Amino acid sequence: MSNVFNWQLGREMDYPYEAAFPDQQFAFIFNINRCIGCQTCTMACKSTWTFAKGQEYMWWNNVETKPYGGYPHHWDVKTLDLLEQANPGGQNWGGKPEDVKAPYGKFNGKTIFEAAKTFLGPEGANRALGYLPTDEEWSAPNRYEDHPVGNEKGVKGQYFKGGELLPEHKTWFFYLARICNHCSYPACLAACPRNAIYKRPEDGIVLIDQERCRGYRKCMEACPYKKTLYRGTTRTSEKCIACYPRVEGRDQAGGSLPMQTRCMAACIGHIRLQGLIELNKDGTWKEARNNPLYYLIHVAKVALPLYPQFGTEPNGYYIPPRWVSRPYLRQMFGPGVDDAIEKYSAPDRELLAVLQLFGKDQRICHRYEIKEGPKVFETEVRGKKFALYNDTIIGYAKDGTKIIETTVEEPLHVRDAKHANSI
Amino acid sequence: MQLRYDDDFLEAAVFLCASGRRSGVPPLQITRFHRKREQLYSILDPDERNAAFFKLHLDWFREWGLEQPLTDVLNEFPLVRERLAVLAVRKSTGKNDEGAELYVNEAGQRTGLLALKTERLTNHATLRDFLRHEFMHLHDMLDPVFGYSPALDLPGLNAAQIRLARERYRLLWDITIDGRLAAAGHVPLQPREQHAAAFARGYSFWPEARQAATFASLWQNPTPRQTDILALIADPRGLRDAHRPAPGAPCPLCDFPTFHWADTRTLALEIRQRIAAEFPAWLPDQGLCNRCLETYQAASPSEPAPAVAGG
Repeated sequence: MSNVFNWQLGREMDYPYEAAFPDQQFAFIFNINRCIGCQTCTMACKSTWTFAKGQEYMWWNNVETKPYGGYPHHWDVKTLDLLEQANPGGQNWGGKPEDVKAPYGKFNGKTIFEAAKTFLGPEGANRALGYLPTDEEWSAPNRYEDHPVGNEKGVKGQYFKGGELLPEHKTWFFYLARICNHCSYPACLAACPRNAIYKRPEDGIVLIDQERCRGYRKCMEACPYKKTLYRGTTRTSEKCIACYPRVEGRDQAGGSLPMQTRCMAACIGHIRLQGLIELNKDGTWKEARNNPLYYLIHVAKVALPLYPQFGTEPNGYYIPPRWVSRPYLRQMFGPGVDDAIEKYSAPDRELLAVLQLFGKDQRICHRYEIKEGPKVFETEVRGKKFALYNDTIIGYAKDGTKIIETTVEEPLHVRDAKHANSI
Repeated sequence: MQLRYDDDFLEAAVFLCASGRRSGVPPLQITRFHRKREQLYSILDPDERNAAFFKLHLDWFREWGLEQPLTDVLNEFPLVRERLAVLAVRKSTGKNDEGAELYVNEAGQRTGLLALKTERLTNHATLRDFLRHEFMHLHDMLDPVFGYSPALDLPGLNAAQIRLARERYRLLWDITIDGRLAAAGHVPLQPREQHAAAFARGYSFWPEARQAATFASLWQNPTPRQTDILALIADPRGLRDAHRPAPGAPCPLCDFPTFHWADTRTLALEIRQRIAAEFPAWLPDQGLCNRCLETYQAASPSEPAPAVAGG
């Protein structure tokens, strides 16, 4: 085991290999508040990459309903349970948040790599704590879809009392869209006995070398997000490839500019934003104040990693849903949840403008600029003053090409009276 | 009889052992298994490669004693061995998909197909209980004394009633199977009490004494017949010849069983005429369900909104 620095945990941790960081890191943000669970992303991925024989049960992108749903069933509960068994009562956070090296404080518990030392399989200690899901657990990706937690017993002819009040519904659920997190410390890579999994030095995308894979399924066992899948017809494991030809700028539709993945581009709810992040030598993010991902994760701090306590340093971030029970969200996204929801619920001028970049263009935005516009109105949101300005945000590709220009207020077109009912 | 396995089933089964989900497998054997498996990836021809994987997985399936419970339990059913040409085992992806089926081709050759969740192989005791139950199903299907026919002879029942009858058939057949297994000293798939409770739910319209007597006769019957089961499922309420509104009888208009009959004495003339136009043979004494009444009231402009009680 080596000692590596995990900024999401605010500390060093054990990992089977020495730290090695790419020039740029593939990363993305999903705004859960806007996801309607339409599965357009799921089908965009399915029809692009996993439509062939042997991939029938394979969903690189899936959208599951929380708290009950999951693909495979109960993937997160099972891993959290294993961690709790390995470190009873010790999986908690402490310390104060600091800059980019410890934005959520310090995690005092055990990661899946640290807990694995005491988790013995038939061949001795594993490299990462995990389990292999059964076929049944993979069989129904939409199980429990649209189910709220229902902690209040229903009464016939009567609505739930207080269920409409924010921030905590008595009954709630939300959609969690998931792809491979292309982690900085991938558990799949750590566990592979064939060294068939690698992280690309140019963009940090994690791939499985199909020539080397021999179908041990150790990656499936180790990945805490359960995002590697076995294909019976080739007897190899497969996973999300982050649509790397698009990220490389090889999709003709992008005119040689790097493009976001298919699932990001297809999202009709504009909940997704994907980009590339430059890293320091210790794996922390290089300051890029006007990169939208850097701004949302390190400046506004509204986007948080999914289960950072697993210790893989996932590069998928989520703007947490406002209406969900806070203890549940703290377990899922770490201690930054309260500040993130506070900020997102009454966004400041810059945040509101940056949120307009989601889903506006398929090409990857590296930098944004804001042109100030007039004040539209002001009001009070949950006791805080809120003013809406119709600012214009302009997004640029890495080479400086202008790719997006949009305003905070959606443009209003008044149709001529003679065409009132025609398109 | 030939015992055949599906590729996916074999592979999933041996991986139970190789991934440590079935205890007692020596680590050295796991290493040897993976080493031999790795070598097969170098075979370029896909058919040859699949055949080689199949053989390897079958060898380890036997080496790790996974075939033993299957053949042991199968030997307890000589009729199945004798009458089946092939018994094929395939992987089931869930509990609802599990079970045994019989297929007969045009030449009269019989094939049994057993769908099995591979996780069952982790516990040989419960696996044997499950296999006995399923092989008993096959045994009945092949036994002339049972007189099995895949098409249930249930004349005069509509689609909804046939579906209900099939549910009852499944319930009663399972009771007779587990009753026989218990009598032979085996552990039934479900205990007697659980079956008795399910039977009481399915036949709640009978008096308790009749329920108990019928259940006992099913549980203790050493040689059940399909005709006996059919007699109990087709019309247990005795409604077939009712020709009058009785609780649970089918509505003469929509054919759905109902417990909520409309009062036809106060039926408006306009509605009677509408019904008669579509069902000329219908008489008010035969009744109609509240749902049908609602439909005809909704279609009659002069009739006020229906005041229907429940249902």
